[in-house]
Amino acid sequence: MAVVEPAPSFSLGPEIDQAEAKAGGRGRGRWRNNLGTWIPAGLILFVLVACFLGPTLLSLPSPVGGNILESNQPALSPGHILGTDPNGNDILSRLLNGGRSSLWIAVAVNLIGLAIGGTLGALSGYVGGIADTIIMRLLDVLIAFPSLVLTLAVAQALGPSMTNTIFALAFFSIPAFARVARSAVLRLREMPFMAAAQLSGTTARRMLFKHLAPNIAPQLITFGMLGMGIVIIIEGALSFLGLGIPDPAPSWGNMVATGQLSLSATPMLVVWPSVALLVTVLAFNLLGENLRARWSGR
Amino acid sequence: MTATATTPRVPADSRGPRASRVGRVTGSPVLRLVVKRLLMAIPIMLGVTVLTFWVLSLIPGNAAQQLLGPEATPEDIALLEQQLGLDKPGVVRYLEWLQGAVTGDLGQSIVSRQPVSEILSQRLPVTGEIVLLAFVVSLVLAIPVALLAAHKPDGVMDRISMVVSTLGLSVANYVLALLLVLVFAVTLGWLPAIGFVPLEDGLWPNLRSMILPSAAIGLPLFCFYTRFLRGDLVDQMQQEEYVTTARAKGVGSWSVLIKHAFRNSSFGLITIVGLNLGALIGGTVIIEQIFALPGIGQMLLQAINTRDFVVVQAAVVIFALVAVLANLIVDLLYAVLDPRIRYGSS
Repeated sequence: MAVVEPAPSFSLGPEIDQAEAKAGGRGRGRWRNNLGTWIPAGLILFVLVACFLGPTLLSLPSPVGGNILESNQPALSPGHILGTDPNGNDILSRLLNGGRSSLWIAVAVNLIGLAIGGTLGALSGYVGGIADTIIMRLLDVLIAFPSLVLTLAVAQALGPSMTNTIFALAFFSIPAFARVARSAVLRLREMPFMAAAQLSGTTARRMLFKHLAPNIAPQLITFGMLGMGIVIIIEGALSFLGLGIPDPAPSWGNMVATGQLSLSATPMLVVWPSVALLVTVLAFNLLGENLRARWSGR
Repeated sequence: MTATATTPRVPADSRGPRASRVGRVTGSPVLRLVVKRLLMAIPIMLGVTVLTFWVLSLIPGNAAQQLLGPEATPEDIALLEQQLGLDKPGVVRYLEWLQGAVTGDLGQSIVSRQPVSEILSQRLPVTGEIVLLAFVVSLVLAIPVALLAAHKPDGVMDRISMVVSTLGLSVANYVLALLLVLVFAVTLGWLPAIGFVPLEDGLWPNLRSMILPSAAIGLPLFCFYTRFLRGDLVDQMQQEEYVTTARAKGVGSWSVLIKHAFRNSSFGLITIVGLNLGALIGGTVIIEQIFALPGIGQMLLQAINTRDFVVVQAAVVIFALVAVLANLIVDLLYAVLDPRIRYGSS
C-alpha cells in the first residue's frame, strides 16, 4: 500500500460525478443532479398540499357518513370526480383525508425515532464501554423481534387509534435510528477533528451538540426519508388488518382492505389508494436515495 | 501461542503449505466464533420472549373471556382461568413456559388444547415453502440482472433495472398482492386467487397456489437484491485497485466483473440476505392473510385475536429464532469466505 495514493478529493459519489461528466459541464451537471432532488421533493409537496389543503380547497364532501343512496357511483359523476364507495362516500375525499392521517403518523413516528433513537445511538457510540454494550444488546432484542408482530400486539393491547398506532410503530423506528446514529458516530470518532476537539478540552456537551450532531444529521435525515416510506407502508398494513386507524375514518390501508372485498366488481376501490401509496412512498424513497448519493461522498 | 513461535505469522496472501492448515482448524477461531455467537443469541432470545410475555399481558382480556364469550358470568371466567392456569401471576407463567421451552416443549394451545409442536408441524411447511420459493427465485434472478446492469453502468439494462427496482421497492407487499390477484386471477384467470393446495395433491396444483403469494413477497426482494448488488459492483469496478490491476493484465471485462468484483460484492449480498430473512418471515403474516394460506402468520393473527398466548409466544420464538440464526450463519459464512476475519487480524 506504499504506492502513491491519490489525495482524497471532494466527491459527490460515483453516480453524481458520472452524471456530471456525462452532461459535459459543471453547469448542466448541477442542474441534472438537482433535478433528482427536486422532482421527488415537488411530488412530496404536491401530496402534502393535496392531502392537507385539498379537501378544503376543492370543497369535497365529508369522507364519512355518506348517503347510501349514492353508493358505487362511477368516476366522473357529478360532485364525485372519482365516484363513490359502497357506503356512498366520496372516494377522492377519503383518499385525501386518509393520506392526511398516514402522513401525520409517518412524520410523528420518524420524529420520535429520530429524537429517542438518534440520541440513544449517538450517546451509545460516543460513550462506548458497558453503556454501549447494554444499549446495543437491548436494541438487538427489539431488532430480532419481528416488527410486525410487535406492532400487532401493541396495537391490539392499546386498541386501534391514531396515537396508539404511532406508539406501536415507534417501537421499531427507535432501534433503527439508533443503529444508524451509532455507526455514524463510531466513524466520526476516528476523524482527526474529533481528536483535535478533545485535546483542546472541549466539553462533552459541546462535543455532542457542536461536533457530533451536525455531522450525523445528514445521515439521520436521509434515513428518515426512507423511514417515511417504510412507516407509510407498515401503517397501511396495520390498518389493512383492522388494527390501525379505526374503521369509519379513512386511511389508505383500510381503503385497500375494504376494497379487496369487492375486488372483481369494483377494482378501482383498491387501485386508487394503491396508487396513492405507491406514489408517496416512491417520492420519499427517491428523495432519500438522492440525498444519500449526495452525502455519501463525504 | 507456541504455533506462532514456531511458524512466523505470514501475510494472508502467501499462505504456507498444507502443514499449517490442520493447525488452523484445530486452533479453530471459527469454532470460537460459533460458540461466542451462540452465547450471545441466548440473552437475545430471552429478551424477545420476556418482551412478548410483557406485551401480551398488556392486551386487555384473556383466553378464558374469549372462549366463554360476552355472556359468561365472572364466576365461570374465574373457574376457567383457574383451570387454564391463567390466574397465576405473569412471572410464574413465564417461568413455567420457559422451563418447558428449554426442554423443547412449547406447551399446548389454550384455545384448541392441541400441542403447539403439532400445530407448528402443520403450519411451518406452508410458510417455509412460500419463503423459500420467494427467496431462491429472487436471488437467482437478481444476480444475473445485477451483473448485466453493472457491466454497463447507465446503459439500457442498467436504466431498466433501476426503474423496475425503484418501483418494486416502493410498493407495499399487500398492494402488490392485490394487484397480482387483480391481473392474474380476476382478469386473466390463470391462477387461483386464494387458497392453499397441499403438496400431497400434486406438485403442480401446489405450486400454482403458491405462485402469487411467493411473487408478492419475492418481487420486492428481487428489487432489493438487484439494487444492492448492482450498486456494490459498480463501486468495486470504479474504485478498487485490484480491478485496475486485473484490467491492466488484460482480463476481459466480464471476467473482471464476475471473477473479481462479484466475488467481493458477494460479502455484502450475504449480509443483506441474512439481515433480511427476519423481515421476510414477518412479511408473510399479511400475505398469508390475503391468500388464506394456513401458515405461521395466519396462526399468529388468529392467536392474537383469541388471546391464545401460548401459540403467539411460539410464533414469536420461531420468527426471532430465524432472525438470530440467519445472522449467525452470515457471520460464519464471512469467517469461511474471508481469511482476515477467520484469523481475527482486524
